[in-house]
Amino acid sequence: MVAILKRETKAYYTGMIGYVTAAVSLFFLGLYYTSSNLIVASSDFAMVLYATTVILLFLLPAISMRSFAEERRNKTDQLLLTSPVSIPAIVLGKFLAEFIAFAAPTSVAVIMPLILKAFGSVSLVSAYSSLLCYLLLGAACLAIGTWISALTENQIIAYLATFGVLIVAYLMNSIQTLFTSGDALALVVFLVVLLIASILVGVVCKSLTSCCAVFCVGGIALGVLFVLRPTWLLSAFDSVLSALALFDPFNGVVGGMFSISAIVYYLSVIALFLFLTGQALERRRWN
Amino acid sequence: MIEVNHLTKRYGKHTAVDDISFTVEDGCIYGLLGPNGAGKSTTMNIITGYLSATEGTVKIEGHDIAEDPAQAKACIGYLPEQPPLYQDMTVTEYLLFVAELKGVRKKAERRTAVEKVCAKAGLQGMEARLIRNLSKGYRQRVGIAAALLGSPKVIILDEPTVGLDPAQMIEIRSLIHDLGKSHTVILSSHILSEVQTVCDRVLIIANGKLVAQGTPEELAEKLAAKGSISATAQGSREAVLAAAKAIPGLTDLRVTAEKGGEVSFTAVSEAGTDLRGALSLALAKAGCPVLSLSAESMSLEDVFLQLTEKGEGEEEK
Repeated sequence: MVAILKRETKAYYTGMIGYVTAAVSLFFLGLYYTSSNLIVASSDFAMVLYATTVILLFLLPAISMRSFAEERRNKTDQLLLTSPVSIPAIVLGKFLAEFIAFAAPTSVAVIMPLILKAFGSVSLVSAYSSLLCYLLLGAACLAIGTWISALTENQIIAYLATFGVLIVAYLMNSIQTLFTSGDALALVVFLVVLLIASILVGVVCKSLTSCCAVFCVGGIALGVLFVLRPTWLLSAFDSVLSALALFDPFNGVVGGMFSISAIVYYLSVIALFLFLTGQALERRRWN
Repeated sequence: MIEVNHLTKRYGKHTAVDDISFTVEDGCIYGLLGPNGAGKSTTMNIITGYLSATEGTVKIEGHDIAEDPAQAKACIGYLPEQPPLYQDMTVTEYLLFVAELKGVRKKAERRTAVEKVCAKAGLQGMEARLIRNLSKGYRQRVGIAAALLGSPKVIILDEPTVGLDPAQMIEIRSLIHDLGKSHTVILSSHILSEVQTVCDRVLIIANGKLVAQGTPEELAEKLAAKGSISATAQGSREAVLAAAKAIPGLTDLRVTAEKGGEVSFTAVSEAGTDLRGALSLALAKAGCPVLSLSAESMSLEDVFLQLTEKGEGEEEK
């Protein structure tokens, strides 16, 4: 794992990606720090981080897109997968290198609250807890990007798909408000999800009957639920949507509500997607 | 030692490798021979753990590749068809990385190991070059050097000489020959002469099936039970062929050349019989003087063609 971590980190800085992402993230950090802290003499450093989350949407896919897609295209994954290194170690090494490429420029942000502190009272706890959460948010985005990169051998597709997923997660709050009323709509959406799931099942099992069976059983269950407890569907739908709002816990921390659940949420997202990455690599050996 | 048992790999309905079993003994050079698309690379990829088998097992030095992959992979150095090189690294950087990947812990040990394999693979003077700037032959050498790192017992080379010029081919072959003295080597190739000169034992694969195995001489002998005769006689084509056809046991008559009243032809005779005498008498009787007559045993090339063509024929049925 250490060998892969070292090589990957070095690769970010032998190519352009490491420097470009560092330059862009430092530029925006500096810009917002100057405009919202220094010029207006505000002590709220968390707002700077909050303002730069939009930049993450563009930057992080650029870091994660190459991780597995490039290996696969150049067939260098053959070296990794035939070496006495386990798949979790490969995934972890790559992911940590991505995290370093993202976190290294952000480390400048560590001194920013201290500079403010020299001129007045600043809540360092709130500043550093949001910085921690910011790093975790970035790591979660990178884990998603790594997984998508493991699914394709085209870096551009990996970039665009990751960007698409992140932007949906970013906008999930406003998407959620579209669905506050209307139990029927929730039912329709669940039915569509069920249809997609049953088609997938049918494709995987290569049988039309299993596809239809899954759809019928699920459809009946949803219908019964809709007739007996319509609000359940809506609230279930709502909580699914809020679980997909990746940026929400961070926004809460920025608002001054540091919670362990935010940390746990990000750590679980990271763990889930790194696990899926390992599964994607494993699956490729079978097909 | 490598034990391959009933290895099968299916992609949907297509069977790439079909129930292959063989054992690789220590200290020999094995050649996996077969036409393009016969399943050589798939077999090698399964042995090295890059792909998983649909059925069957592979054991390397007693370690099952599916159940104990780390131990099994540590016994193997693998050079895939396309050497897995990172273009943006120098030769030394790359080899140091591979050494660390293969679990050479100490930095000093890695340095000496890399120096050693560079010397073995003939990479002196190239250490500081970027891999992207190397020629195909040198890239192949870097791939071989990488396969040698971590001192594996078995070296697996997938078509190591493809795309090289003749001089480089000879160099790589002599390198493989040297490796055979200290390692067990398995190499794949679709070039027969290469396998014949380099390998101690040959496995012939066609359409995913193992159709024959043995030393090059054994294989030639096994199928050379049928003798082949080539002859040149004076006279018209019809007269010569009629005389030859009259001999019982002589089949598969083919005219190879016809020029100025001379007819050259080849024929196949049944196992264990020498029909040269009969043929010469028959031709003399027909008034066609025999100008040359010789019996040939089949070369490995003939064996190879016969086996692989037969495999294809079965597939069509």
